[in-house]
Amino acid sequence: MSNENTLLSIKDLHASVEEKNILKGLNLDIKPGEVHAIMGPNGAGKSTTGYVLSGRDGYEVDSGSVTLDGKDLLEMEVEERACAGLFLAFQYPVEIPGVSNLEFLKVAVDAQRQARGEEALTSAEFLKMAKEACKQVNLPVSFLKRGVNEGFSGGEKKRNEIMQMILLKPKLCILDETDSGLDIDAMQVVANGVNSQRDSERSFIVVTHYQRLLDYIKPDFVHVLADGKIVKSGDASLAKELEEQGYSWLQTEPTEDELED
Amino acid sequence: MSEWLQQAIARADSIQDGFEDQRASSLALLKDIQWPTRKTEAWKYTPLRAVERSTAIFKEESPELEPVAVEGLEFLELTFVDGQLVSLPEELPEGLTIEMQESSLFATIKPERHVFGLVNDVLAADVAVVTVAEGVAIEQLLRINNLLSNGAQGHIRVVVDIKAGASLKVVENAEGQGASLTTAYTEYQIGAEANLEHYRFALQAGDNVAIGGSHFKLLEKASLNSSIIGFGSNLQRIDTDIIHAGEKADAKLNAIYLLDGTELFDLHANVEHAVPNCTTEENVRGIAGDSSRAVFNGRIHIHRDAQKTLAELNNRNLLMSNKAEINTKPELEIYADDVRCAHGATIAEIDRKALYYLQTRGVSRSQAQLMLSFGFINELIDQMPTAELAEWVRPIIRDRFAQMEVK
Ligand SMILES: Nc1ncnc2c1ncn2[C@@H]1O[C@H](COP(=O)(O)OP(=O)(O)OP(=O)(O)O)[C@@H](O)[C@H]1O
Ligand SMILES: [Mg+2]
Repeated sequence: MSNENTLLSIKDLHASVEEKNILKGLNLDIKPGEVHAIMGPNGAGKSTTGYVLSGRDGYEVDSGSVTLDGKDLLEMEVEERACAGLFLAFQYPVEIPGVSNLEFLKVAVDAQRQARGEEALTSAEFLKMAKEACKQVNLPVSFLKRGVNEGFSGGEKKRNEIMQMILLKPKLCILDETDSGLDIDAMQVVANGVNSQRDSERSFIVVTHYQRLLDYIKPDFVHVLADGKIVKSGDASLAKELEEQGYSWLQTEPTEDELED
Repeated sequence: MSEWLQQAIARADSIQDGFEDQRASSLALLKDIQWPTRKTEAWKYTPLRAVERSTAIFKEESPELEPVAVEGLEFLELTFVDGQLVSLPEELPEGLTIEMQESSLFATIKPERHVFGLVNDVLAADVAVVTVAEGVAIEQLLRINNLLSNGAQGHIRVVVDIKAGASLKVVENAEGQGASLTTAYTEYQIGAEANLEHYRFALQAGDNVAIGGSHFKLLEKASLNSSIIGFGSNLQRIDTDIIHAGEKADAKLNAIYLLDGTELFDLHANVEHAVPNCTTEENVRGIAGDSSRAVFNGRIHIHRDAQKTLAELNNRNLLMSNKAEINTKPELEIYADDVRCAHGATIAEIDRKALYYLQTRGVSRSQAQLMLSFGFINELIDQMPTAELAEWVRPIIRDRFAQMEVK
């Protein structure tokens, strides 16, 4: 139920890509400070959800509504959504040769601070923050000088995403398979990075295929997204169940079963 | 033959002044000429409808117009309004003269093949001849302003003679309002060991039709550094010819074009290496948005005797929309065997994924666009030798680009 105390509210969201319906009635309410894990088979629409929420070109909303902090998210430009506090850590971060990570981050932080009416940071202040954030995700500071994600390994890209999250201090973070491609130590680093940002205000949607990440980032809720909608919700124990059973039950069980909370 | 050309010829027949001989021969050529069509190679992608349908007139009286100010620079201004010379600098530095008189260089540097160059030969009312005396370096920039009022037609011509060992900096500045039509041709002879820093700004987007050229003849050890910066318009066509006529001459040409809407911009650059040991470096970069069309033809012709030539031509383009069009054609014609030449042209599309990625971090679309794609234009602006001009034009170009939509 959406009330003042809801950070993100998705209501009966239908969305399509290239005329193909992908989201088919998605509902999700997230309160400040909550961590929701979304699991589900390949092609279910998990990444699509992140793209639709962030406003990617080509992802058409056919019906339904999404509010962030009570504001209509779907009306906003991509960058306005970011400034409103939405952050998407990409499943496949984009390489941008020719634009340095540091320049990019400074411009992004400046833009968001300006949009929120906050004072601009000096270059020195910003550099200090950026170095701090690098350290937190175990990326050498030299990565600040490199082109955005340019030639980064898969794991380095994921850590770079979390580094950005730490710098931008969003209200709602969507982590799309941030654990995939990470070695065990890196997963620990990423989880620590995320946990360090958890507080009573900031909320997370953690998209993952593996229960292991959820050992480190303890979710309040776990949802199963299949064929464009949430078909099952539960607490952290649901992730364990899925790990054991897989998704074969999806075909046999009716899809609109128990939606807890 | 087009009606427009017939009228131009009729008008030329009625003009009398000190250029009888050259004009007479240009007029004779014009009377015989084929009006360019889509089958004419030099006009293949640039239809002349805008000229044929132009309603621009020769005005009896023109309003007073002032050229744009550039912070930090005081120019020696040579100003034409609607084709008439309206002002000359009151005082000229020692060694620099500007006269309205006959010049033996008139129509000798600009090749005959330019149809509108011939039109200009016969219609330019006031031909200004700028001369820099031997060995004199003129520090102050000379600016040639071609200002057109709404609906006016005007044709301007300047001949610049830089004697041996001298140096000069020239800015050609065109500002046309409304549905004006102009031809503007300049011819430069750069003497032995002389030096020219040159700019041609054609930033008058909109309804106007502007056709013209800057043509350079380089004598021994002469050097040229030219920057051409243009927006499109109803029809914007610039021809440039660089003729290496003396050994060890060096030419650098940087050109930028930036088109939006339904604009058309056409740059034809031709370099003639007639003698050995000369160098040419040509960087041409452009951005086309919406349903605009850019045309670039870059020809480098290395004659049989031009051994040890070093010539490079590079053309990079960015498309901002699926409907924009870029026709680029580098042409190398090499008849000497001991030369070093390179040429290349690329057309890239704006990286939509990268734009989106930057936007998801809160960067505005226009700023994201600048971060991703302004660098290759900015590089050429950075190379402009007079920093004040670079600082003046940079925001004009940047803002135009930032406002272009990705379509
Ligand atoms: N541009 C597109 N054109 C056509 N189909 C698309 C496009 N983008 C996504 N899809 C389709 O949408 C469906 C959902 O894709 P999505 O990436 O959201 O799945 P996912 O749940 O994130 O899967 P995974 O676990 O493999 O990451 C898939 O069937 C995919 O092929
Ligand atoms: Mg996915």
